[in-house]
Amino acid sequence: MDDFKEITSGNKPFKRAYVAIMLWFVGRAIQAAARVDKNVKGEFKKLPEGFTFCLGVLPKGPYMIVGKNEKGRVKYLGWEPGGRRIDLDMKIKSIEAAILMFTFQESTAIATARDRMIVDGEVPHACAIVRVLDIGEVYLLPKFIARQAVKRYPAWSFGRKYIGRVRIYFRSILGY
Amino acid sequence: MYLPEYYEFCCRVKMIAGHDALEKIPEALAQLHAGRPLIITDKGVSGAGLVDTVVDAIKDGVDIGAMADDVPQDSSLKVVNHLADVYRDNKCDSIIAVGGGSVMDTAKGVNIVVSENADDLMKFSGAGALKRALRPLIVIPTTSGTGSEVTLVAVVKDHERHLKMAFASYFLLPNVAILDSRMTLTLPPAITASTAMDAMAHAVEAYTGLAKNPMSDANAIAAISLISNNLLNVLKNPSDREGRLALANGATLAGAAFSNSMVGVVHALGHATGSMCGVPHGVCMSILLPYGLEYNMRKNAHFTGELLLPLAGAEVYVSTPKHLRAEGAIAYIRKMNQDIHNATDGRHARFLEEVKDRDGKRMVPREKLEAIAGAALDDGSIFYNPEECDYEDFLMIIRAAWEGAPLDRTLIKGV
Repeated sequence: MDDFKEITSGNKPFKRAYVAIMLWFVGRAIQAAARVDKNVKGEFKKLPEGFTFCLGVLPKGPYMIVGKNEKGRVKYLGWEPGGRRIDLDMKIKSIEAAILMFTFQESTAIATARDRMIVDGEVPHACAIVRVLDIGEVYLLPKFIARQAVKRYPAWSFGRKYIGRVRIYFRSILGY
Repeated sequence: MYLPEYYEFCCRVKMIAGHDALEKIPEALAQLHAGRPLIITDKGVSGAGLVDTVVDAIKDGVDIGAMADDVPQDSSLKVVNHLADVYRDNKCDSIIAVGGGSVMDTAKGVNIVVSENADDLMKFSGAGALKRALRPLIVIPTTSGTGSEVTLVAVVKDHERHLKMAFASYFLLPNVAILDSRMTLTLPPAITASTAMDAMAHAVEAYTGLAKNPMSDANAIAAISLISNNLLNVLKNPSDREGRLALANGATLAGAAFSNSMVGVVHALGHATGSMCGVPHGVCMSILLPYGLEYNMRKNAHFTGELLLPLAGAEVYVSTPKHLRAEGAIAYIRKMNQDIHNATDGRHARFLEEVKDRDGKRMVPREKLEAIAGAALDDGSIFYNPEECDYEDFLMIIRAAWEGAPLDRTLIKGV
């Protein structure tokens, strides 16, 4: 066997780094949106206490973990699932599929329809988290990009859209 | 022809279809190296004499291990464990399921227990928990609607722990599905109609949804054509063997289409209406289908328009201007519902207010519509619907479907 060099798949470090940054920011933005946006608050209110979900990329990350503590506060819990109990596990099948999603060439809905993701957990929880992700995308992205990411761009009031966006960006950067 | 950048399609079930397909079971079992099956069914199916028909057709070529007809309306873990004991006690080596979705789900659950020698079925719930092929499973549907004979999922209820266990694996696909006209000949007209319209909804939603692909489309188009061409004839002449076989084929083709391309808003609202009010699934599907298509028109009118060809035939299709074909397809489905209503002496409901139980009591009270819209938000089918659906959207659709009035499309957000 020494005559043959073992070939392993590339790690694609730049793509992984890009997706890791996006996941980090989306995780913190969800934490922020849960304090700022009434619909996101409402979605998390219906989820059980201690609910934790993970969005990540197979086979070895990056990941993003968000949870709701016993006081009902939503927290970004980092990028390391470790031995944590995950109630809803959403895994993108490959880094290439993740790049399509996080460069907004493919919406979450189209990615799901094209079998890009594996979802393990309760379906109603997955529905709620997809709605949260959609709202997050509308806050974080300019309209011409967000229109590619969601099925229908919402008609929000000026205050909700722009003041909300500023508050969410501010809180995401500062992490509270 | 729509070709997505990427799709997955799998349907590796051997189909045996014909007026004498049951007689092929011994040969099919022998090819699977089996010959002593456990027959699983329910009391309704055995009471209708359908199991006797199966036994008569196979008894000379197969050593039947045991027959169990105690599958309840909802599958149950207790029954699964009991039937697994029956399988082992009688040294069976395969399973034949004769019935509808509940019987097939139960048979799939029994197959997991006996193949994995499992004491806790829960260990195998979810997607991808099964790692190897199970014992040979042959399914014989007795309605033409669910498409369960070609789906890779099973749902088993644990009534004691109030749990609903879902299993998804390619290993749950039956080895063989038998479509025999004798199995549906005695199906009453109203059930024939609602189950066929359930299959129609599978095919239409698969063709117009986000996960459509050329393989599913081919199955869906064939299904729609078979159902549209034969349903009314069968209702007028229930002993029409050719028509019965065509509907059975249509349902299976629709099953292959939707189990790969999934469904959308019609099923999300239909599941919610079924669980909140107990309305049979096929009845919900037939009523909601035109409304779902109307709601999605902004996103997929071109695909809906293409369905006018298998629905109404070439003459109507070519004589309808392209921009009116989607409206034509929706109008055709509404007309089908009206024709079925007339052919079943009014037993086939055209809108939700009209749905009555056996005692003539209205099954969907208007005050439940808000709760139905809320429940639909939690249904996974909505991932695959081309148009966004929030609570107000669901409520608008279900209210229109309750009243029987066409959807006011000017009220749809984003239009």
